[in-house]
Amino acid sequence: MHVVILYLGVLLQGGMRDVELTVVSSILALMLGALGAIGRLYGGRIIGGAIYWYVELIRGLPPILQLFVLFFGLSQFGIDLNPLSAAIIWLVAYGAGYAVEVFRAGIMDVAEGQHEAATALGLDRKITMRKIIIPQAFVAMLPNLTTLIVLQLKNTTLLYLIGYADMMYQARLGADATAQPGPLYVVVAIEYLVLSAIISRIGSSMEKRAAAYR
Amino acid sequence: MSNEVVVKVRGVTKRFGDRVIFENISLDVHKSEVVAIIGPSGVGKSTFIRCINHLHSFDEGTIDVQGFRLVGGQSPSKAELQALHNSVGMVFQTFNLFPHLTVLDNIVLAPMQVKKQARQQAIDRAMHLLAMVGLQNRANTFPKRLSGGEQQRVAICRALAMEPEIMLFDEPTSMLDPELVGDVLEFIQRLARTGMTMVLVTHEMMFAKEVADTVVVMADHGIAEMGPAREVLESPRTERARSFLRRVLNPVGSPREPNLVANGGDDR
Repeated sequence: MHVVILYLGVLLQGGMRDVELTVVSSILALMLGALGAIGRLYGGRIIGGAIYWYVELIRGLPPILQLFVLFFGLSQFGIDLNPLSAAIIWLVAYGAGYAVEVFRAGIMDVAEGQHEAATALGLDRKITMRKIIIPQAFVAMLPNLTTLIVLQLKNTTLLYLIGYADMMYQARLGADATAQPGPLYVVVAIEYLVLSAIISRIGSSMEKRAAAYR
Repeated sequence: MSNEVVVKVRGVTKRFGDRVIFENISLDVHKSEVVAIIGPSGVGKSTFIRCINHLHSFDEGTIDVQGFRLVGGQSPSKAELQALHNSVGMVFQTFNLFPHLTVLDNIVLAPMQVKKQARQQAIDRAMHLLAMVGLQNRANTFPKRLSGGEQQRVAICRALAMEPEIMLFDEPTSMLDPELVGDVLEFIQRLARTGMTMVLVTHEMMFAKEVADTVVVMADHGIAEMGPAREVLESPRTERARSFLRRVLNPVGSPREPNLVANGGDDR
């Protein structure tokens, strides 16, 4: 237990860094994902096709490979990213790839009649998307979005591999220094579980509120 | 009804792929005229009125709406479509209210976004419209909490809030329980009396006879018959119109002629 007390401070600090990354990268990924889904659905062959292949790339390549290409691979060509930038870029790129699919499914879930009604009222495509389609799509895809954000949180564990000092990184250091990995990893596990439980709770309360009209 | 033609349809043909939905349809709608389109299901009545406000494109012919010309096979510019949608309102079979917005927000959305009206001005107008249909106390409710008849009346208010010159109705009462149909039809009838130009796809023959100036019978990819409502419904000239009317007015098949039923008026 001694080792837990010794390392609790840095583990909590590392946890905070994971939370910050998850929040920032999720917000950016969702914004890009919404745009990407619209581009995929309405962008025509070139834009739609490019986004299709981007999603395939993100989905098809192992996360660790993507991260290593970005951090180590690019430095060979003189692009040196610090761990924080690489972490954010990768998490946003990865999350956006998944968010495109989540948003696309949500948008396609909105009934054709909604488009017709909006068009007949003279609303242009941008306003129709912003005021009619996206809000309804958002409700339909909230469960999937919650899953996506939990996934983003869990992806932060990989970042210790590029030297980003998150909770996993601190636990590794502690495990190496004290030769008592067990208790430290248990603390990390508890932190992750608590955080993902919080995300789920926020998600389900948003679902309840958003579904008030249903 | 005046002599001014506000919708002029000439030789309009619509296909989905190789399948012809209707061809060579020509039709004039005059200012303040009420035109009812009837006919068997699947003949493209709903598709046809969607061509008038370009929710559907068409392949050949022209449609002039209030000085704007839609040409078959060509897509109009954004500005033209905008002007078209500003002057043509539409009401749908399935209401298509925006479920995530309250009744009031459904109505004020387009006036604020498209006509750039101030919120208060749009609300005043919306409340006035809702009061006309006795729904002013439901302004802050979500559509789901309303009956079908109430939803459809709100949908009509939503279209009217844009102050259109022409209203299109696509089977506005087909999805309603029978006891809710009356309120909606009554509202449409009141609207007709104010001189609103209307094109209405309907299965309510009695209503068509009472409210419409002109009845168009669509069948076999085109217009089978067209003329003053009473004439067409009571003594159709073409066999195609006659057989359709016989079937809708007398679905169980007793050997009464359509004109007798139409005169009876109590046994729809």
